[in-house]
Amino acid sequence: MLWYKAWLETRARFLTSLMTLTIFCGVFVHHALYISCSDTFPCAQGLIRPGRQAELYFLLMVTQNYVVIMWVLVVVLLGMGGIVRERALGTSSLTLSLPVSRVRLLGVRVVMGVLQAIALAVAPWVTVLVVSRIAGLHVLITQVGLYVLLLVGGGLVYFAMAVLVSSLVIGEYTAPAIAFGVVLLNAIIFDAWLRRFNVWRLVTGDFSIDKTTYLLSTHLPWLGILASLSVGVLMVLASTIVVQRREF
Amino acid sequence: MMSDNVILTQALRKSYGSTEAVRGLNLSVGRNRITGFLGRNGAGKSTTIKMLLGMVRPNSGSGTVLGRQITDAEENRELRLRVAYVAEDKPLYGYMTVEQMIRFASSFYPDWAADVEKRLLQDFELPLRRKVKTLSKGMRTKLALLLAFARRPELLILDEPSEGLDPVGIEHLLQVLVGRSAEGVSVFFSSHQIAEVERVADHVCILEKGCLLVDASLDQLRKFYRRIDLVFSSTPPKSEFRMSGVERIQTTGRQMSVFASKNTEAVVERAHDLNAVSVEVVPVGLRDIFLETVKEN
Repeated sequence: MLWYKAWLETRARFLTSLMTLTIFCGVFVHHALYISCSDTFPCAQGLIRPGRQAELYFLLMVTQNYVVIMWVLVVVLLGMGGIVRERALGTSSLTLSLPVSRVRLLGVRVVMGVLQAIALAVAPWVTVLVVSRIAGLHVLITQVGLYVLLLVGGGLVYFAMAVLVSSLVIGEYTAPAIAFGVVLLNAIIFDAWLRRFNVWRLVTGDFSIDKTTYLLSTHLPWLGILASLSVGVLMVLASTIVVQRREF
Repeated sequence: MMSDNVILTQALRKSYGSTEAVRGLNLSVGRNRITGFLGRNGAGKSTTIKMLLGMVRPNSGSGTVLGRQITDAEENRELRLRVAYVAEDKPLYGYMTVEQMIRFASSFYPDWAADVEKRLLQDFELPLRRKVKTLSKGMRTKLALLLAFARRPELLILDEPSEGLDPVGIEHLLQVLVGRSAEGVSVFFSSHQIAEVERVADHVCILEKGCLLVDASLDQLRKFYRRIDLVFSSTPPKSEFRMSGVERIQTTGRQMSVFASKNTEAVVERAHDLNAVSVEVVPVGLRDIFLETVKEN
């Protein structure tokens, strides 16, 4: 039933995010396929022409950039909450009086959050796939899969960071403000000085895209993904220690 | 062999910064008894309960609940399986319905008593489909009590259980507490409603500034605590009555009131020796014992 509780606590955030991401991707791709593209885009105007696959994959790259912005925002929101937030709401004494360890309480929340984050990464890309198929364009499933993989593999660290922040900070608005601040600061600092280690660029596919075909290379930056996932795991472990030591 | 005590603490201490909330508490709560836990606001009652349930870590000292160490995370988890706790503010998940809340709580306790749940649902007239956040304070209290009673605990720890209940609800609660106790459940409850404690408790602990001042059965308290009202022909000599068992002496003109926890006979004898004009020994209730005890400290 802890799963049920975690679901009830996050379902509004999750379903709203799912709907927003899906509708956005559907409308965006649909419009982009049928109306003129931006000046920087080589297709110039109108429907993507047959045989010009690069135009289609350029569109996918742009879509991924937008999806990443929204996805990071929603996974940070999904990472908020938990037992520390319950303390502010006054329900922590009920939760902590249950015969359940704090590690399990956190674990259920993290697993639920990860599953929701995966769903939120898959749903918009499935929409893109469906909308492009309806438009009669063939998008390689492997390309879509790689975008999802980059999003989840590289981006879950943002969720882990949100979990850690919400374990450290109680305030309803303070915790998300700090978490979003960290996302922004991280993007600025890494882009300015440590570009090769910028998670944002890793997630958008910037490190693995071919700038002429706009196809993602199957040689993904595995090291970067692994490093990002490892940092995420370390953050969750740190959250576990914080929650175990915390007094309520 | 089962221990006689369901709660046992030794020199339990907890500080928040420079404030000492609990100071070397030695508490023992007997099995199959109803123990009232009294104290003013900020006396350390809630902190003590939170330490027992592992929500707060003591700075020093040790304690066991149902034979399990309170400071060991795994043992504390095991003890929570056998303890039902209702916190002061009756926390419940507002986003759940009454039915969901019951279903959620019942899933953690293999011994969940469906019959008790059904009976209390009827008695308390709780609306199953209503969201918890829309319930009145009294209804929330009733739901919190239902969740505690239906899990068939060995020990019930209740923090201000009657808060928010109407007189009928309070009466029902007290009856249920006595009934549970008769079935072998130990009850440890804190309350500011001394009359309620006096009605149902077998044993009373009074905490003041983190120290245990009184730890006795209600029968003992009734038997030994007395107020001796004395009238003298001149200003009474206060120092003459400073003896063992005298907790407080109050003088107003020629009148003197001595509050004694024992040794009443010696006080009366001393009063006669000093030619008291009037000597009246008055039995005192728990309310007076509580007030006099905390006033003295």
